[in-house]
Amino acid sequence: MTKAAELVPSLQHIQHENGWISREDMIDLSRRLDVPLYHVYGVVTFYPHFRTRPPPKHVIHVCDDLNCRLKHGGNLVKQAEDLARGRSDVEVKPCSCLGQCDRAPAAMIDDWPYAPDSPQALLSLIRDCISEIPVPKTPTIGMKGPWKSDPYPSPEQHYSALKALVTGEAEQQEDRNSEAMKKVLESGLRGMGGAAFPVGRKWEGVLNPRAQAAPARYVVCNGDESEVGTFKDREILRNLPHLVIEGMAIAGAIANATRGYLYVRHEYVEQIDILNAAIARAYQIGALGKDIFGSGKSFDLTLFVSPGGYIQGEGSALMEAIEGKRGQPRNGTEDFGPVARATVRGLFGMPTILNNVESFVYVPAILMNGAQWFKELGVAGNPGLKWVGIGGDVARPQVLEVPHGMTFKEALDLCGGMRDGKKLKAIMPSGPSFGFLPPEYLDARMEFPNKENFGMLAKAGASIGSAAVVFLNEDRDLVDAALSCTRFYRNESCGKCVPCRVGSQKMVDIIEGVLEGTARNDDVEQVERLSRTLYLTSICGLGQVVPKPFESVVKYWGDDPRIARARERTVRLTVNGSGSLSR
Amino acid sequence: MSDTKLVNFELDGIPIAAPDTLTIYDAARLAHEYAVNEEDRRRLKEDPIDIPILCHKEDSRDELKSVGVCRVCCVMEGSPRLPYQVPKRYIASCCRKVEPDMKILTRSPDVDESRRTLVELLLAEHPVPCKRHEQFHDCELELLGERFGLLETTEDPTKKAGQDGKYKTEWVKPQVYTDRVFSKGTDFTNPSIHIDHSACVLCDRCVRACSDVAGEMVIGRMGKGKNTAITFDLDKPMGQSNCVSCGWCMISCPTGAITYAGSGIQAALPGAKLAAEDMKRHRLFKEISIEFLRRAEGGVVVRHFRKGEIICRQGDFGSTAFYIDSGKVDIFLETEFGHVRTRQKGGFFNRVASLLISREEKPRKEENTRAYIPIDAPIDLAYEKPFAQIGEGELFGEAACINLQPRSATVRAAEDTIVLEMLRNVVDILRRQKPFRMEMDRKYRERALATHLRTSDIFRDIPDEAVDFLRPQVSLLSFRPGETIVRQDQRADDPDNGGLYLVRMGHVKVTETYADGNSITLSYLSRGNVFGEIGLLSSEAVRTANCAALDHVEVVRISKPVFDELVVQYPALKERLGTLAAKRLADNRDHAAMQKRVSLQQYVDAGLYQAQSLLILDLEKCTRCDECVKACAQAHNGITRLLREGTKYDKYLVTTSCRSCRDPLCMVGCPVGSIRRKNDLEIIIDDHCVGCGRCAEQCPYGNISMHPIKRDLSKEELDKGAGNGFKATVCDLCNSDQCLDEIDDPACVYACPHDAAHRVDGQTFFDQTLFGNGKK
Repeated sequence: MTKAAELVPSLQHIQHENGWISREDMIDLSRRLDVPLYHVYGVVTFYPHFRTRPPPKHVIHVCDDLNCRLKHGGNLVKQAEDLARGRSDVEVKPCSCLGQCDRAPAAMIDDWPYAPDSPQALLSLIRDCISEIPVPKTPTIGMKGPWKSDPYPSPEQHYSALKALVTGEAEQQEDRNSEAMKKVLESGLRGMGGAAFPVGRKWEGVLNPRAQAAPARYVVCNGDESEVGTFKDREILRNLPHLVIEGMAIAGAIANATRGYLYVRHEYVEQIDILNAAIARAYQIGALGKDIFGSGKSFDLTLFVSPGGYIQGEGSALMEAIEGKRGQPRNGTEDFGPVARATVRGLFGMPTILNNVESFVYVPAILMNGAQWFKELGVAGNPGLKWVGIGGDVARPQVLEVPHGMTFKEALDLCGGMRDGKKLKAIMPSGPSFGFLPPEYLDARMEFPNKENFGMLAKAGASIGSAAVVFLNEDRDLVDAALSCTRFYRNESCGKCVPCRVGSQKMVDIIEGVLEGTARNDDVEQVERLSRTLYLTSICGLGQVVPKPFESVVKYWGDDPRIARARERTVRLTVNGSGSLSR
Repeated sequence: MSDTKLVNFELDGIPIAAPDTLTIYDAARLAHEYAVNEEDRRRLKEDPIDIPILCHKEDSRDELKSVGVCRVCCVMEGSPRLPYQVPKRYIASCCRKVEPDMKILTRSPDVDESRRTLVELLLAEHPVPCKRHEQFHDCELELLGERFGLLETTEDPTKKAGQDGKYKTEWVKPQVYTDRVFSKGTDFTNPSIHIDHSACVLCDRCVRACSDVAGEMVIGRMGKGKNTAITFDLDKPMGQSNCVSCGWCMISCPTGAITYAGSGIQAALPGAKLAAEDMKRHRLFKEISIEFLRRAEGGVVVRHFRKGEIICRQGDFGSTAFYIDSGKVDIFLETEFGHVRTRQKGGFFNRVASLLISREEKPRKEENTRAYIPIDAPIDLAYEKPFAQIGEGELFGEAACINLQPRSATVRAAEDTIVLEMLRNVVDILRRQKPFRMEMDRKYRERALATHLRTSDIFRDIPDEAVDFLRPQVSLLSFRPGETIVRQDQRADDPDNGGLYLVRMGHVKVTETYADGNSITLSYLSRGNVFGEIGLLSSEAVRTANCAALDHVEVVRISKPVFDELVVQYPALKERLGTLAAKRLADNRDHAAMQKRVSLQQYVDAGLYQAQSLLILDLEKCTRCDECVKACAQAHNGITRLLREGTKYDKYLVTTSCRSCRDPLCMVGCPVGSIRRKNDLEIIIDDHCVGCGRCAEQCPYGNISMHPIKRDLSKEELDKGAGNGFKATVCDLCNSDQCLDEIDDPACVYACPHDAAHRVDGQTFFDQTLFGNGKK
């Protein structure tokens, strides 16, 4: 831990107290934490949450990403701006996906998320706020259990798996650890954030002598889901916080890590309160702290509220944020070899277990019920369960806890089919990162690609990834949808490496050109080359997938008249001052 | 810096065996040296692997750490013989170290496509041409654009460089990506450095240079994504920020984003000034940013010397270094070898006189036996015949320039010779150029290592085979002033800094820290000295002292495993090192014991107690007539070595030859390493002293004198500017062990009309004269 690690919490504290961060605050922090001025300024200006000017009276951030756009047609931001016209004390801005896709459209109004399921309802809330009519901070509507992921019938039994692991004969601690480790390995549990790296193997990476000899080890839980359309972790954190905490503590006990960080996005205001309460309770009953259940083992858990940005969901960027730096992803194993792994050099340079919320949540049940139990929950060779967030043009968008490997069709049926009986046009299997797939893929299974089971989804070069499934109906304009997704990536790019920083803007330019009718054949042809270059050379996953949405549109819906027209043109047109096209 | 191992891998199908400390980029650049097959080496020399770079900047000190953000140096991992199937993501070759069995493709249509696309993307947001390219054809991004056939630059004959721009750059074909060149703002608030954010490619070179090289911590990144830009402090205008205008950002910048504003003071050496653009064309400077060369204009001059003309002279102070562009030079010592001694002569006040005696004639206690004299050139001089010749492509006078040492030897043109004389800032930047540095290091290994090893007592007769064994295995390292080389209590077998060190340039300060936190300077080591042997030989294998760079220091490191192998073959070395280690350790222990026991005053006392000979003045008898001082001056050709000052004990004033300072500053900066501390902490000056006077200047107590030496010079020599010269000498009390036997009393004692001056040994003085008196 370094002094600089206090930077983000200090800035959050100042902003919480004063509403913004002044230059004097920054100079003071620079002295106090012994970091250069540019460092403080670089961090403040990197995270969208921080303000360098006094805030207006009301702040209204309207989600402008795919699921919300499907609902409000892309003009809600403008309507809200119109309502606030002439009010310099009201800030209306579009923002990135808020993770409220099941009740879209969504907006943050004065730092509270609202998602009333209809554009009119949201607009009326915004109108109330602007007209100084108090808008109640009502809890958003969640799901109801029981959950297969939760092995505990009553709250009294919470943390039993952890207790069984750490208490008992001290001499047999090693045996209990390796038995738990064996269960996690055999369960086939994979990283549920989307990368699908086997959880057990990741944990083993921190068990070797070298990692154990390090001065410290950390357990980090990634609860920053911010990809367009992803909201499954929101429900896990709301409903099963004790399992996440327990999963982390179990990882800590096995790996000899005494400190954990639970990283959660700042827009999940309710979840932050719920997690704080759950952590306090865990400390109270002895599941966390210096002496877990009297075992002498210690594990302290800090809730780290993200200062904002989709890129923080990238594991190394998340760790940079905790360390008080600009949240830019670190160069990965391609550039620095195996030492770039979090299990070798993670948080503060120490071996770190970093998993998604959903990966930790299954751990207590696996320890309680065994690896075989977990394996059998899945279908078609996929182990366990899968939490998926279904959004878009379905009758009942929602989070589902379903057998891992269920088909898209089954999931669609569980959500009541397509809304208003419209026909399905496209499926987005995992946010925009694998683009759009045509309706034939309804039969594909929601699964990660793996060697034994190279399914339909894998053959299309896709995966269930972050489990943000969006169904789009026949009326939808996919070029516009691709533009929205690509803009999201451009806005969320950290700007560290060239391919992503510049390439994402070029992709936006190309799609805008297609929509405006100025694009030419070369532009469309470029997409493939750009996609290859961005995939091969970007440092992190964001840059690698920027062109995917539009690339898939060109691939499957290349007969779109605007794409076809662009293909026929050899010269790029420009829009001149009067709004007409010219060479 | 850890121990290097050779790893075997393939570059474009060519088997390579290179040290594992190299990046893929470096290994590719040096593939002609590391290729396993002779045939491949020859071919690669003609057709080198040329991986493009942009955000990476080669830096011999590795202070500009690789960040891998521009990605244009990307390479592909896979077998070149098999068709490439799974798209494995590319590697930033500037970051990744070579690993065994890697199969790397540095050239392929796919890799090329990605590199070209990246350059194209950047160029679409870059003003073409940017200011720097327009004026000097030197923007690294646009040069890459030309390399990938995207841009074409032609000279515009109607224009002059440095003004409106001499070059015209255009796209070869219409651009593929939409042009988004819009002004991102300029900052002209700094009088000597201009910022153009539009030309910035966010390579982070300036950010790294500002914090990691210059240590100024002013420049960083601000904003996010496409709105990212560089910032000075809290987004201040550069001229109002904490920037000190050191210019490191400017000379690191690859494009026209940070340029020299053309004002400011330019250094000027006498001679034919080399213009920035001419420098850029010279092989020595071709890797250096034009912006630096513009600022350094006047810092490099071309000098022509006819055969026999002197280029620089030993003992002179000069702040420049010389690069031999063509021709040959002789390097030699003009000094007569010997130390100053006092001899009895006839006559009243003239009954003692000083003269030069060589170590062969009359060796002193702990006289040195070194076979080579270390000098400020890529070669050392044999003690017996201090003469050497170096030629084209060699650099000399580096230490005089970088560490402001006096010149260590005289250099004369052996034939008609052209040299480039350079100021310190130019030499400093040259030393940072990796290719230059590696070339210098290679030459050093090949030619200088053997004689350099032999300048040290320990390796003085190391056989050629042992040098051959060491040659590829030693690490050549450099340290900045104040940087720690080894720390007390560190492991001597540490893979990063374990092993034995030999000083190549500069001065290393050796200090020992005691449990109470106090520390004492044990010694200053200069070229040819060895350190690190105690930890290496002791069973605990722990460092017993701190060694830190006092100025710009370069060292040769022999790692523990290499050392172990060496001593197995040459057990004599181990023995000799063991003796040295034991001696140093015992001395250190004595110092430590003294330190712990006594105050500073007592420490001095203890030093005196051990002294062989003390001059004491009985202050009750002394009338302050200064006859003793006059006598001393008479005896030493008019220069007194005696000051009637010193530590007082009771009624006695004690003068000593040397105060055995805790921090012997006199030892810092000797260009030929001829001043040393003996085991009893007394200073001894070796016979090859060149008489520059540095030590005399440094001694805070004025206890070192420059003794003029009369030499029989021919008229020719005098015409060429040869002088009579000096020898440094410490007060030897006329009758210490440095003196000849015929003498009874020092001149001062003899001269005292009041019987106030006496010569006694330390023990007698303290036990009998002082305390004996006291008891009475």
